[in-house]
Amino acid sequence: MNINAKTQIQEFRSVGTRPVRQDGVDKVTGRARYGADYNMPGQLVGLVLRSPHAHARIKSIDTSAAEALKGVKAVITAADLPDHADGDEGLLEILDNCMARTKARYDGHAVAAVAAIDEATARKALGLIRVDYEVLPHVTDVDEALKSTANVVHEHATSRVDPEQNVPLNVHATEEFGHGDIEAGFAKSDLIVERSFKAEQSHQGYIEPHACVASVNADGTGDLWVTTQGHFSYRIVCAQLLGMDVSKLRVTSSEIGGGFGGKTHVWAEPVALALSRKAGRPVKLTMSREEVFRSTGPTSPASIDVKIGVSNEGVITSAYAHLRYGCGPYSGVWGMLGAMTAFACYDIENVKTIGIDVRINRPKTAAYRAPSAPVAAFAVESVLDEIAQKLDMDPLELRFRNAVKNGSRSSYGPTFGTIGLVEVLEAVKSHPQLNVPLAANQGRGIACGYWFNIGGQTCTTLNIGVDGTATLTIGTVDVGGSRSSMSLVAAEELGIDYDKVKTVIGDTATLGHNDTTEGSRGTFSSSMATINAVKQAIGVLRERAAKMWEIPVDDVVWEKGCARAVGEEHGNLPTLSLAEIAKEAPNTGGPIAGHSEIVAEGVGVSFGAHICDVEVDPETGATKILRYLVVQDAGRAIHPAYVEGQYQGGAVQGIGWALNEEYVYGADGRLQNAGFLDYRIPVCSDLPMIDTVIVEVPNPGHPYGVRGVGETPIVPPLAAVANAISRATGVRMTHVPMSPPRVLAALENAKVT
Amino acid sequence: MHYSRPNSVAEAVNLLGGNTGNAFILAGGSDLLVRMKGGFVEPSLIVDIKAIAELRQIRATDKGFWIGAAVTCAELGESEMLRAAWPGVVEAANLIGSKQVQGRCTIAGNLCNASPAADSVPALVAAGARVHIVGPNGSRVTAVEDVPLSPGKTSLAPGEMVAAIELDERPAHASDAYIRFIPRTEMDIAVASAGINLTLDADGTIKTARVALGAVAPTVLRVDEAAEALVGTKLETAALERLAETCSAAARPIDDKRGTIAYRKSVVGVLAKRTAELAYKRARANS
Amino acid sequence: MVDVNVWGSLSTCTDNQKVIQIEATTIRGLLRELVEKYPGAAPWVKRGISVSIDGEIIRDDWSKTLPDDAEIYLIPRMTSG
Repeated sequence: MNINAKTQIQEFRSVGTRPVRQDGVDKVTGRARYGADYNMPGQLVGLVLRSPHAHARIKSIDTSAAEALKGVKAVITAADLPDHADGDEGLLEILDNCMARTKARYDGHAVAAVAAIDEATARKALGLIRVDYEVLPHVTDVDEALKSTANVVHEHATSRVDPEQNVPLNVHATEEFGHGDIEAGFAKSDLIVERSFKAEQSHQGYIEPHACVASVNADGTGDLWVTTQGHFSYRIVCAQLLGMDVSKLRVTSSEIGGGFGGKTHVWAEPVALALSRKAGRPVKLTMSREEVFRSTGPTSPASIDVKIGVSNEGVITSAYAHLRYGCGPYSGVWGMLGAMTAFACYDIENVKTIGIDVRINRPKTAAYRAPSAPVAAFAVESVLDEIAQKLDMDPLELRFRNAVKNGSRSSYGPTFGTIGLVEVLEAVKSHPQLNVPLAANQGRGIACGYWFNIGGQTCTTLNIGVDGTATLTIGTVDVGGSRSSMSLVAAEELGIDYDKVKTVIGDTATLGHNDTTEGSRGTFSSSMATINAVKQAIGVLRERAAKMWEIPVDDVVWEKGCARAVGEEHGNLPTLSLAEIAKEAPNTGGPIAGHSEIVAEGVGVSFGAHICDVEVDPETGATKILRYLVVQDAGRAIHPAYVEGQYQGGAVQGIGWALNEEYVYGADGRLQNAGFLDYRIPVCSDLPMIDTVIVEVPNPGHPYGVRGVGETPIVPPLAAVANAISRATGVRMTHVPMSPPRVLAALENAKVT
Repeated sequence: MHYSRPNSVAEAVNLLGGNTGNAFILAGGSDLLVRMKGGFVEPSLIVDIKAIAELRQIRATDKGFWIGAAVTCAELGESEMLRAAWPGVVEAANLIGSKQVQGRCTIAGNLCNASPAADSVPALVAAGARVHIVGPNGSRVTAVEDVPLSPGKTSLAPGEMVAAIELDERPAHASDAYIRFIPRTEMDIAVASAGINLTLDADGTIKTARVALGAVAPTVLRVDEAAEALVGTKLETAALERLAETCSAAARPIDDKRGTIAYRKSVVGVLAKRTAELAYKRARANS
Repeated sequence: MVDVNVWGSLSTCTDNQKVIQIEATTIRGLLRELVEKYPGAAPWVKRGISVSIDGEIIRDDWSKTLPDDAEIYLIPRMTSG
């Protein structure tokens, strides 16, 4: 086996520097155009009517009064979105989620939509639509939904794998991973800790609501301007749902005000297109914040049991986790992801994980930054912390003794190649935060986290301008600064300055298919394609220089942004700069460009470890984050400031979830807190500066050693904060968010028992 | 919908009196505009009082201080004389919303919104503030705690509006404080809160006390029994415990998304203790 | 013939064998033979399977060859946030 492929040590000129981001000025001056900042001539306002019931059969919808209202140009229901899925259940589920077909399956499920000349008219029209519902019993809790007596969320709900033929109907899928014999492993352990955990549902909380402008023409062509993480994927799904030809729908991604996975799925875009098709005019559809919370995809609520056995020396002998994730009314992959990641940080002889997707009457679960892994880590890392306490062992030392390294068998199967968890733990060990003394009511928590990366289909084009500057067109949406990172990569390869390269995101007519910016793939995949495209352009540049010099191309090399002739015969020629070659392009063969169309493979995984110091007010249960450290392996940081930004952003989202963020459902199955007042993401004053350390263990699968870094940072925080609070209070926390009422109740409960 | 921006109180009263529909006063707009945007209210008339000069003033009077209904919370925070005399009222006003909201919102609006969780109201009740109300039948003065009746409902008659809120002069050895609990550090609404105003003897014995609690009942609660627990003490541990107990016992909160009954009853006692300690410390420093 | 490791829930379609023998030299051949031999695996392949070859997870490129002594693992094909 060859799993230790070495990456060459490379000297970089641009990569690793921290220039000003290229989209920065537009964003801070308000010029950047987001989803709602685009307008088309004659556009209408689209609004969606949503179910007030968690579960109800739609007996009839009367739209006649709304249609008769002056200024209303189209009213649609599911009848206007016929089933073009051709038996594809996944596609049909998306269609059903965009517009309820027979049943409203959650509070906020779309049942009808209108397009009118202005918002007031559209709002009035919504009020004129009469929906006759037959309200059905609902279930919003994961554990309740698993009970065999629970109401069935989806009439077609069947388990993908049903070996016993007796799984409850709300189970969508069960996945199992692991190796060895866990019972034998527990039998030889010296200490076993077993606990159950619960995590409430959280939303990505992107600041920009979903928004789009859709225009469908009578000839079957269309345009969609939209805030999305993946305009190519949106194009395919929207075209399929509407029965359009994929290539006739042109989708342009706007600037994006955050996505974190929530903008990888279509929600209202097919509705806007259907409204436009019916009205014959462009339609702008912008969700309110309330709609974003009620009707787009939060992450799963979860319920988890963990059992870990260790030797007295702190070596894990056996580990088991049973993870139950809510997936909304449809199918999901969340149990699988939780089961794959739960023990991925540790080299364990006997391990078994079971992940279950549970159907509930809540919005369709969407991806949220390393989906499922944060709550799995919360459960596993909490149990490890308790084991460290019981063994009277430094919790960092416990991680060292079990950490995966090159050649370790992963808990989900394959053997790891070059990975950096041990290097991360070493960086933690030498960090000064560990030496800051703690006072009364203060505690320090540590936790590790893991996430995969994905590669996928990627295209880029590099065009050389007449003055020797370069435009790089990429197709992975820039969510976290990747345009600037790609300019650094192109500048590095071309040997010119960063500010001579401008990177733009191409629309779906400009480039071949690009997979969505998800799975920490944007910088990894697009940099790989960019390097290829620049290498191809350099080949062209060398040919052009050879023509200008009238020498064989083999005698031309590319160095430091210039063509240089080599060999005894021509070696004394002065170099030709990129600008000089570009200027001659019309007379040497025309425009100079390079392209790359690839499937990016060779992904490297990323491990992180976080340290959190807290102070808990024992009288109110309120937690203050005193200090917070993120250490993570980036492989190679193209633009270190953006890598740090990902570390800090992920940590902050995790801290918010750990402390306050949660969906609160009433007994009526309706969401109680669909707004930022009562869905509490952290504000700046809640947080200290998030300290970061970038560890670089290069990924041998990438020319520069890049690993995707975007998701791992949200994996450890729930556990790091929980471990810190547990140590500060002496009471083990098992339910996130650890909001003040929940912490105070836990403290009171511990006093009683 | 009609929008008007009168220049005098008389003109405003006239507009309100002549309106037969759904009239709303616009001061800072930090509640009204949100409710309009959310589709919860559809005003037929909006009377913007920010152009009425006398409602934009903070004045020292022979009895104390006169705060016009259109004075923003940020302006209260900038008033040195109010900060010195009524630090608890000012700190309550400067907890509302965010910095941006404080630049618009008013304590009169906070009072008339009639939310049990309004931050400035417990502090005003503890301070014994009075409200000047004008209307079609002339003007009247009432205690702050008599304005809110229940969530969203006030005792103002049709056509009436608040013109000003009046606070007493501040004697020596006296001060006030307001503390609320929120899960975040700012931009939030009180889960429970306490406003306390104390007057001491020269030796530190509490002569008079007023205790008001927020977010633990349908309206802000004045708890006289809690105040009695403090009078005659020097805020010893036993007095503080008695204060906490009476406040927790007096609280009649609900279970909702912001907190449970048990949590609010427990925390409001903790807040009362902390607020009393802060007010006492300030009163001792005010010699 | 290569040894192919199958994750827990997929093994319900491979007669509960965690390791199966497949006659294939590429990922494409592997997936084709898998379905041929174990028809129950067809929906899994349709939904997406990634193949780990000596620790490198290949998600899309079915032309990758399988070295003789390679460690081969099947895992679910992933998407994420």
